[in-house]
Amino acid sequence: MPEITGYAFPNDIHVHWSLMIVMYPYITGFVAGSFIVTALYHLFGKNEFQPVARLSLAASFCFLLVAGLPLQLHLGHPERGLFVMITPNFTSAMAGFGILYSFYLMIVMLEVWFVWRGEIIQTARRSRGLKRAFYAALALGTYDTSPQALEIDHRAVKVLSAIGLPSACMLHGYVGFIFGGIKANPWWSTPLMPVIFLCSAAVSGIALLILVYQVTAKLGRRVIQADTVSAMARWLWFFLIITVTLELLEIIMLAYENSEEWHIISPLLTTRLQFSFISMQMIIGSLIPFILLFIVTVMNRYLHEKVRNTLTVMASLLLLLQVFSMRWNVVIGGQLLSKSFRGLRSAYEPHLFEREGILVAIVLFVLPFVILYVFDRLLPIEAPPGAHAPDPHGDAPPAAGVSPAA
Amino acid sequence: MEHARHVFRVLLVLLLVIVVVIVGRSFLVPKSFGMYGNYRYDNVPEQMAARPPLHGGARSCADCHDERSAVLAKGSHARVSCEVCHGPLGRHVKDGDVVAKMAIDRSPRLCGNCHRKIDGRPPKFPQVVFEKHVEGGLGPKGCLDCHDAHSPKL
Ligand code: HEC
Ligand code: HEC
Ligand code: HEC
Ligand code: HEC
Repeated sequence: MPEITGYAFPNDIHVHWSLMIVMYPYITGFVAGSFIVTALYHLFGKNEFQPVARLSLAASFCFLLVAGLPLQLHLGHPERGLFVMITPNFTSAMAGFGILYSFYLMIVMLEVWFVWRGEIIQTARRSRGLKRAFYAALALGTYDTSPQALEIDHRAVKVLSAIGLPSACMLHGYVGFIFGGIKANPWWSTPLMPVIFLCSAAVSGIALLILVYQVTAKLGRRVIQADTVSAMARWLWFFLIITVTLELLEIIMLAYENSEEWHIISPLLTTRLQFSFISMQMIIGSLIPFILLFIVTVMNRYLHEKVRNTLTVMASLLLLLQVFSMRWNVVIGGQLLSKSFRGLRSAYEPHLFEREGILVAIVLFVLPFVILYVFDRLLPIEAPPGAHAPDPHGDAPPAAGVSPAA
Repeated sequence: MEHARHVFRVLLVLLLVIVVVIVGRSFLVPKSFGMYGNYRYDNVPEQMAARPPLHGGARSCADCHDERSAVLAKGSHARVSCEVCHGPLGRHVKDGDVVAKMAIDRSPRLCGNCHRKIDGRPPKFPQVVFEKHVEGGLGPKGCLDCHDAHSPKL
């Protein structure tokens, strides 16, 4: 039984939204964040992002495939989960999941197809037997790689990114909406919630891609592009500033208004969430990466490449922790306070081995990388040398010396 | 247009997927879903069938206990249904046959449910302070020493 301090209603001392509900926004955050990175390249012409454009699209896709899983694991009757799509109840925000998820999945699959079409056809031409049949089916039977066809692909990718970016934002903003729309809970109920979720999604997405980019480049013995790293660090810094500003604003606003909610939220933050909010989310997760990225951004010119890589990797690792603690503090924190506004329950501790436990959470985090590996086997993320892979950015030539295949 | 053939193909596949989803959904949506609201209406009769009513109502006892009903009807407990003090008909009689003994609660607690003095009760309702009602405390049969449960007015 949880321990209670103060006065709590007997029916709100249970943490029903468990670790899995923490993992859900964490994972969809990567989906949205990675897509923002692809969109920076495809839509906004940030050529520094060319080396990670395909990687981030693939990452967004792989995380998306896992995004529904924590919800399924959370349900007592997982077989009923599908009904949120089959018979949605439109007066419930959760009905949004089916629509937003399937629409976004469709957009991402289409974009993946258009980006990798060249390679699919190449592989189909080069191979025999079953493998050929598989890739021929993937290519939908047309082997048109003429410049005109590739030009059409570029335009399709651009249009799809333009639709995909708002869809990704909606998919993740909706997660914030679910919390922001719960008016009985002062720790959740704020219209800022979707915005905060979105900005921290961008943070987690970019941070993750910095790490994955560095690791895959090391594994594939490729050069880590300096301007890609510093551009990502710059954008990471930008989104970090916005995110933390909003997160703090929300709390300062509550503190300044000093209404009855603050009398429960302030003890919540200083006792139950002291470690996960003050130490992790604010100091280790925000202040330190802020300083690290400040150094990378402001003193970029003076930094040795190794130093810059190390600093951004450290900042990225800390930011992954920051975003996780933010999800934790929102989801779990909101369930530690009683709706009486007068009582707190003791901290929630998930077990290692249970359906919604720590081990499963770790598996959920690793699974997208396994899928990414399989993806890379089927559709190589780095274009192989010599293959005339369609340059996904039609009109602008890639930045000088960026071609990873070189 | 000639080079956009693959775009048409992928759109065709998309259309196919959408058709499959729509058709598939029509199979998966339960038959009575949405008849009266955003739920499967058949669930209501199903739950009703799964939970046969136990109570028979005030009249149901009179078939076999008519002299008791007559007593009750004349006394001040006329408005109190038998099942309130005893128990639901279904535990005692099924399909017209007695299947189990009906419970009898002879303790003062039964009467206290309605007659114990509580500030929240309407002041006109007959209430007693248990500790003061009987001089020297209750006897072995509790309230029934003096009151008849079915016709309690002395
Ligand atoms: C089908 C006819 C029938 C109906 C209807 C019926 N009873 Fe009975 N009841 C009997 C019979 C027969 C006995 C005597 C059986 C026995 O003593 O085991 C009895 C016994 C009782 C007893 C005494 C049990 C005891 O321990 O001495 C009570 C109390 C009682 N019934 C209450 C009720 C109430 C209240 C109802 C209406 C909700 C009711 N009965 C409806 C047939 C019926
Ligand atoms: C106010 C509560 C109350 C109501 C209403 C009531 N009873 Fe009773 N009944 C009792 C109590 C208490 C006894 C036990 C009496 C005793 O042992 O002196 C009892 C006993 C009985 C007995 C067993 C007879 C005996 O003396 O052993 C029968 C049969 C019975 N009730 C049937 C009925 C029927 C039928 C009705 C409805 C018409 C009814 N009762 C309504 C409280 C009630
Ligand atoms: C379900 C509620 C209920 C239970 C249980 C109940 N009674 Fe009553 N009782 C009533 C009602 C209703 C009246 C009628 C009150 C009125 O006329 O305003 C009443 C009236 C009475 C009266 C007459 C009061 C008067 O001045 O008219 C007495 C005495 C009495 N009950 C005693 C008892 C005893 C003894 C028991 C326990 C065996 C008992 N009651 C159990 C509801 C109950
Ligand atoms: C020693 C006998 C005796 C016992 C035991 C007894 N009563 Fe009474 N009760 C009386 C008398 C006498 C009256 C007054 C006569 C009347 O108003 O009917 C009375 C009246 C009542 C009234 C009516 C009060 C009013 O304001 O109209 C209620 C209700 C009542 N009793 C309930 C109970 C309950 C409940 C018990 C068990 C806890 C109980 N009695 C036990 C003798 C008794």
